[in-house]
Amino acid sequence: MISLEALKLKLERIPVVSGGQAVRISLLSLVFSFIIFSIFLSIEGANPIDAYTNIFSFAFDSKLGLPTTLHRGLFLLFSTLAFIIPYSARLWNVGMEGQFYLGTIGAFAVAYSLPTLHPALLIPLMLLSGALFGAGYGALAGYLRGKLNVNEVVGCLMLNNIAFWLVYLLTVGGPWAGIAESTSRPLPPNAHAPIIFYTPFTSYLAVGIAIVLYIFLSKSVLGYKIRVLGNSPTAAQHVGINAPRTYILVMTIGGAIAGLSGYHMWAGDPAFLMIPRPEAYKAIGDLTYWGLIIGLVCLLNPVAAIPTSVFIGSIMVGSTVLVRRLRLPFGLDVLFLGLVSITFAAFQFFYMYRIRRMK
Amino acid sequence: MWPFIARSLEVATILLIAAIGELLNQRSGVINVGIEGLMLLGAAAGFITASTWGLIPAFIIGMIIGGLFGLIHAILSTSLKVNQVVSGMGIWLFAMGFVTYWADRYSGPLPRGVVSPRIYELSPMFFIALIIVVVIWFVLSKTHLGLKIKSVGENPFAAEVSGVKVIRTRYLCTVIGGMLAGLAGAFLSTTYLGAWSHLPTKGLGWIAFALVMFSLWRPMILLGGALTFGFIWQFAISPETIYAGIPAPLPILRMLPFIATIAVLVIISREKFRKKWALSKPEALGEPYIKE
Repeated sequence: MISLEALKLKLERIPVVSGGQAVRISLLSLVFSFIIFSIFLSIEGANPIDAYTNIFSFAFDSKLGLPTTLHRGLFLLFSTLAFIIPYSARLWNVGMEGQFYLGTIGAFAVAYSLPTLHPALLIPLMLLSGALFGAGYGALAGYLRGKLNVNEVVGCLMLNNIAFWLVYLLTVGGPWAGIAESTSRPLPPNAHAPIIFYTPFTSYLAVGIAIVLYIFLSKSVLGYKIRVLGNSPTAAQHVGINAPRTYILVMTIGGAIAGLSGYHMWAGDPAFLMIPRPEAYKAIGDLTYWGLIIGLVCLLNPVAAIPTSVFIGSIMVGSTVLVRRLRLPFGLDVLFLGLVSITFAAFQFFYMYRIRRMK
Repeated sequence: MWPFIARSLEVATILLIAAIGELLNQRSGVINVGIEGLMLLGAAAGFITASTWGLIPAFIIGMIIGGLFGLIHAILSTSLKVNQVVSGMGIWLFAMGFVTYWADRYSGPLPRGVVSPRIYELSPMFFIALIIVVVIWFVLSKTHLGLKIKSVGENPFAAEVSGVKVIRTRYLCTVIGGMLAGLAGAFLSTTYLGAWSHLPTKGLGWIAFALVMFSLWRPMILLGGALTFGFIWQFAISPETIYAGIPAPLPILRMLPFIATIAVLVIISREKFRKKWALSKPEALGEPYIKE
């Protein structure tokens, strides 16, 4: 047990943490996780300074990692936005993984069934279908929570696992199976997304959605209602906000956004243009949980989530050089991410309390 | 038929050990959504230990690492009052990264000679799991300590006033919960699978987590749930042992345990059902205890 009294310290509750404080806390938390990871780097015989220089110079070099950094970073932005909207009503959307898989299915179903359609029509249709599939899946979780009172964390996790096997069903030996073992057929050329300044156009879409959501949450009546429900369900009831309906609504919006990331991930990156083998799409699916961490670190501010997502994306992409360039053991890059996430979680403490020395 | 039942009882063992630990810490008011992560850590530690030292040390090390991360969850959620879902998710994400780094280099089966003793093809751990459940049931419903644990989970303020050490009780339950999750993981990797592959829990931890909710926080209902879901899980993996002509493809079968979980959750979440059982979740579940 940690006894603060013995250390002559006491906790002081912070009523509202300001944006500036949040930035300071997040930077501190990053420094902390970098120090911890240095220990692992040293154990593996690498020079930490050298490793960090390599990580970030690779991640932000426009000839090397930058396109992937932007692509993965904005993928995380989709997940973060999909978390922020439901969480504004204090609903834990941890179903981004399943909504992302469903979005993938929605987008690819259109591309496979209408391969000769003109790109100007096909690509918007794929996006729309991805968003609809994701929204439907999100709405399902919202319905389970709002109408049937099923805990949304457990409900979402179950739906995520179901969605994983659904993609498996379609790709591994299923109707979408490609020539290569366990992956899907490549997308038809008409479905290839245009690249604008190193990154697919969907990256700009993500940024646009972030700005719209910022305005929606802070300025619109509906956004206000959502926040009232989040802050006090009792108050919401008194002013006549329909809680179940709002829960379904926020999960549907969240699901639609997460669904779009299915197109962004597999059709936006020229390295894929197909659904890869299960371990690979599951590894990306696992990244969606970062939406929760980033959303909370950013105090649910969709605009603040833009740079944060890109920064986490740079760690994701940059740390792959540890294995590829510095020849360090496999998995060190995911360990780094794990350390960053657990430190961010632990540093949530400083969003609520200040430690003061007792007089 | 019997080999199939023995295997499904072993899945039930994994679920039961992990879920009874979670039940204990939820009874004290601490929700740990990182149970899948704790199982992964226990599985990795157990597997690596078993390769050199054998099974018993593997279970002990699995429990120690599970307990260690249970302790971290306790520090974060009880002392530092971080939101329990955030803390649990953080531990889960960390575990996925750490376990990949730590154990994936040992991918493959356990060395020859490290084989679990089996009584009629069933690991004796099944009986140990039953004993653990009975002990926890006994402690919770028949002892003074159990009363303290439940009072901390229902109303920590009242408990504190009547002289119960809220923080200490929550630490105790969360660490034990972590140890049991670690043990479940070690049993999974060393006995049920006998091999290491990338992130081997595959959602079992989440099913264990859901089982605690179904059980209405009662150990004996939990036992029934674990047996049922052990059967469903094993059926999804090897349906041919029950009926050779099952037409459903593998991915559909693998969805079954998760679909069944949602179905049960829908049923027990009805208000009517809860009232009938005249009990529901611990009142202070997920709430940090903040002394004013």
